[in-house]
Amino acid sequence: MGRAEPASDGAVVRAVLAGDVEQFAVLVRRYRDRYARYAAHMLGSADAAEDAIQDALIRAFDQLRHCREPDRFAGWFFLILRNRCFAERRRGFREARPLEDSQEVATSVDGPDGAVERIERRRALERALLVLTPEQREVLVLKHVQGLPYEEIAQLTGATVASLKMRMHRAYDRLRDELEEHR
Amino acid sequence: MTREFHPLVKRLLDGELTLGDLPLELRREGEEALRLLAPLDRAPVTLSPALDARVMATLRRRAGSPATVRESFRARRVWRWISAPRDVEIRLRVRPWAVGALAAAAVLATLVLGRSSAPPVGDAVAAFGSTRPGVLVRFVLYAPGARRVAIAGTFNQWDREATPLAPAGRTGVWTTTLALAPGQHQYAFVVDGARWVPDPAAPAVDDGFGRRNSVVAIAGPGGRAL
Repeated sequence: MGRAEPASDGAVVRAVLAGDVEQFAVLVRRYRDRYARYAAHMLGSADAAEDAIQDALIRAFDQLRHCREPDRFAGWFFLILRNRCFAERRRGFREARPLEDSQEVATSVDGPDGAVERIERRRALERALLVLTPEQREVLVLKHVQGLPYEEIAQLTGATVASLKMRMHRAYDRLRDELEEHR
Repeated sequence: MTREFHPLVKRLLDGELTLGDLPLELRREGEEALRLLAPLDRAPVTLSPALDARVMATLRRRAGSPATVRESFRARRVWRWISAPRDVEIRLRVRPWAVGALAAAAVLATLVLGRSSAPPVGDAVAAFGSTRPGVLVRFVLYAPGARRVAIAGTFNQWDREATPLAPAGRTGVWTTTLALAPGQHQYAFVVDGARWVPDPAAPAVDDGFGRRNSVVAIAGPGGRAL
């Protein structure tokens, strides 16, 4: 027996626009987790990421009739989330802090001391990330956390590969300085 | 003063080179650079399972009950089908004397009926204003070399195929006329099915996602297109 193909993003968007609001749940399930790491690193916490993703999904629904290319909903949704993250960063966002990592000590295989040191290094790096500009931080997160190549980041953000590399390279220098100071 | 990594070390961090590709004198700096990013947290971030329910509850509140929304969309679609202008070509084969007879009959009917039932001019205008489907708006784009041009906007759910423009001979000018309901509409032209072009003759707004949409505002009855 053949399995039904999942509906494409374009088909789901068109169904929602035709009045079937419940179909939007398909897009929620499909995209709620995809950019969670991105939002968490951009905003400094998983809680803030969850708020941002919730807002972005609701805004996407509100603006759905402006989605010119329903088959490319993923990229369009990313831009909404990105705008939301940048806006929050510009507002000085909530208490910036490293991502939660309290459970790591208990689960670490290299003993509590090694784990504590690793967590300290991670915290120092997360603190250093907070001094980057949102654009520098974004490219670092997309490249080194999400693992995307520059070409894909360029497609997502609309920036050129050359300018992304420039941002990234400045971010490396800035991080080096920042971590040097806290050493 | 900023201590900059050597360009080759930056390429190492970018994944374009390996430590072994670096000259010996840069290996130490390369190792330092790799240690810098090693603690980066790449673990997945888990969101609350309740997120889906929260989002959908908000959407349902905003949209009203699903059935109501579906009905309103359906009604809007029917209305659009009725009110959208269409090109109709009628070919008649007639004898000249028949045209003359029909014209004479039409004049006679106008004179007879006009005397008995013509409403005051003011009433006619009011009736027109209250029943017309929308305001006819002509969209024009000069796109020499284009193979096809369409218009997509909030009035057709940004459908790139639904509303093609017709070429005016080989002048490079493409036009269409649409009946638009009162309100503000955002739109853009789609050239050759892929290239989005804002209307150079209309104001534009940022769509919030880095692109420009043209805007046409239609006033209510008695108003005009802006």
